[in-house]
Amino acid sequence: MNLRLHIWRQAGPNDMGMLKTYDIANVSEHMSFLEMLDVLNEGLIAKGEIPVAFDHDCREGICGTCGMVINGRPHGPVARTTACQLHMRTFKDGDEIYIEPWRAKAFPVLRDLVVDRGSFDRIIQKGGYVSVNTGNAQDGNATPISKPDADRAMDAAACIGCGACVAACPNSSAMLFTAAKVGHLASLPQGQAERSSRAMEMVLQMDAEGFGSCTNHYECEAACPKGISAEFIAQMNRDFVTSALGGKA
Amino acid sequence: MKAFGEIWRSNLFQKWLMAITGLLLVLFLLGHLSGNLLVFLGPAHLNEYAHGLRTMGHGAVLWGARLGLLAFFILHVSSAITLSRRNRQARPQKYVKVEARSSTLASRTMLYSGLLLISYVLYHLAHFTWGAVHSQHYAQVSYILPSGEVVPDVYTMVVKSFSEPLIVILYLLSMVMVGLHLNHAISSAFQTMGVTNRRIMPLVRVGGPALSVIIALGFSAVPLAIILGFVKI
Ligand code: HEM
Ligand code: SF4
Ligand code: FES
Repeated sequence: MNLRLHIWRQAGPNDMGMLKTYDIANVSEHMSFLEMLDVLNEGLIAKGEIPVAFDHDCREGICGTCGMVINGRPHGPVARTTACQLHMRTFKDGDEIYIEPWRAKAFPVLRDLVVDRGSFDRIIQKGGYVSVNTGNAQDGNATPISKPDADRAMDAAACIGCGACVAACPNSSAMLFTAAKVGHLASLPQGQAERSSRAMEMVLQMDAEGFGSCTNHYECEAACPKGISAEFIAQMNRDFVTSALGGKA
Repeated sequence: MKAFGEIWRSNLFQKWLMAITGLLLVLFLLGHLSGNLLVFLGPAHLNEYAHGLRTMGHGAVLWGARLGLLAFFILHVSSAITLSRRNRQARPQKYVKVEARSSTLASRTMLYSGLLLISYVLYHLAHFTWGAVHSQHYAQVSYILPSGEVVPDVYTMVVKSFSEPLIVILYLLSMVMVGLHLNHAISSAFQTMGVTNRRIMPLVRVGGPALSVIIALGFSAVPLAIILGFVKI
C-alpha cells in the first residue's frame, strides 16, 4: 500500500520542530509500524537525508521503550497494543498518518519522536525500597499471598512504563503509571511497611516533575497497552490521603 | 512526615479538596431541590418551609449554612482554578491531532461549566435573595400561615417570576449547565476520594451521570410547571 506520513521532525531539545510530509510506497500489510518506519529511514539514508529518530528495543510489546502518537492516539488505533506490535494491516492504501512524540512538559523532546522519560525514573526512585530481610533467599511460599492479592499485584506490575498514559491524558498527568507502581507494592505483604510514605513521596515527585493532575477522563486507561485499570488511581488517592492525615495505609 | 504546607499545595490534595467541597455542594443541591419541590404541594407548604429556614435558631442556622456554603464554594473554585492552570502548563506543546477515546464533552468543559455556574449563582441570589433583579416580583406580598403567622409569600414570588418566559429560559439554560457540570462531577468525585474499586466502578460511572440528570430535571420541573400553567397562584 502507499501512504502519506506527517512526521514530527525536531533536530534537538532546543530546536523548533515541525511536521514534515513523506510519501512511502509498497508498504506490506505484514510489516509492523516500526518496520514501516525502518523502511522509510533506509530510503532517507539512501538519499543522504537524516533518518527519523524513534525509540524501540524489544519490538515484542514488553519493554515499554517504543511510543509515538499515531493519528492522535498513543501507540495508534488498536487497543492494548504497543506501537511495535501495531501492524500495517490496520491501515489501508492511501491513508494519511500523523506521527507525533509524547507531549508533556515532563517528557521533553530529545529529537524527532524520542522524548526523555527520566521523570518516570525519578518517580520510581522516590518509591524507595521494601523492607525485606537480606541473606539467603527465602523459601518459596514462605510468605503466603492469596490468589486475589497476587493477581492484583500482577495486574499492576504489568505496567511497562511506556508513558502512553501521560501522552493520552489531556492534562499530561502521570497518575496511571504512578498508581500502577504504588498499587503493585501496596497489594503485597512486602510493600506494607513503607506503603504510606511511598505513596506520598511518589505523588509529590509527580508534581515536582511538572505532570498535571487527574480529572478522571480515563483517557489513560483507554490508551494503556497493558490495560492498567484506573482503580489503582483510586487506591493511590486513598493511600495518599491516609498518609497526609498522618495515618498508615 | 512532610510539612503540611507542601501537602496542601500538592495536586492530589487540591483535588481532594475540590471533590469534598464539590460533593458537599451537591448535598446542598439535593436539600435545596427537595425544598423547591414543595411548590407542588401549594403555598402553605412552601411558605411555611421558607419561614422555618429563616427563623430556625433565630436565623443562626441559616447564616451558618450560608457561611459554610460560601467557604465550600470558594475552596472549590480556587482549587479548580489552581489545578486547571497547572494542567494547562503540563502540556506546553499541543498535539496536531488528538482522538479522544473516553473523555466526554462534560469532562472536558468542567472549568467553563463551572465558571458559568458562578454567574448563574450570582444572578439567582440577586433574583430571589437580594431582590436586586426582577424586583417587581420580589416578596412584597404577605401570606398568612395556617398557624396565623404572617410571613413573606415566597410562593407568589416564585410563580410570578416563572410566568415570564425570559426568566424561565435563563433558568432552564442554567440547569443545563448544572447538569453538564454534575454529569462528570459526581462520579469523578467518588473516584478522586478512592471509594471506587473494580466492582463498584461501573456503578459509579453510570450512577453519577444518572443523578446529574435527576437533579437538573428536578430543578427544571418548577419553572416548567409554572410557565405551562400546571402551578398557579
Ligand atoms: C453548585 C455548584 C457546584 C457543584 C455542586 C460542583 C460540584 C463539583 C464536583 C462534585 C466535582 C468533582 C470533583 C472531582 O472531580 O473530584 C467538581 C469538579 C470541578 N468543578 Fe465544580 N461544582 C460547582 C461549582 C463550580 C464552579 C463555580 C466552578 C468554577 C470554576 C467549578 C469548577 C470545577 C472544576 C474545574 C472541576 C474539576 C473537574 C475535573 O476534575 O474534571 N465548579 N465540581
Ligand atoms: S500505565 Fe500503561 S500506558 Fe502508563 S506507562 Fe504503564 S503501561 Fe504505559
Ligand atoms: S519496543 Fe519494546 S514495547 Fe515496543
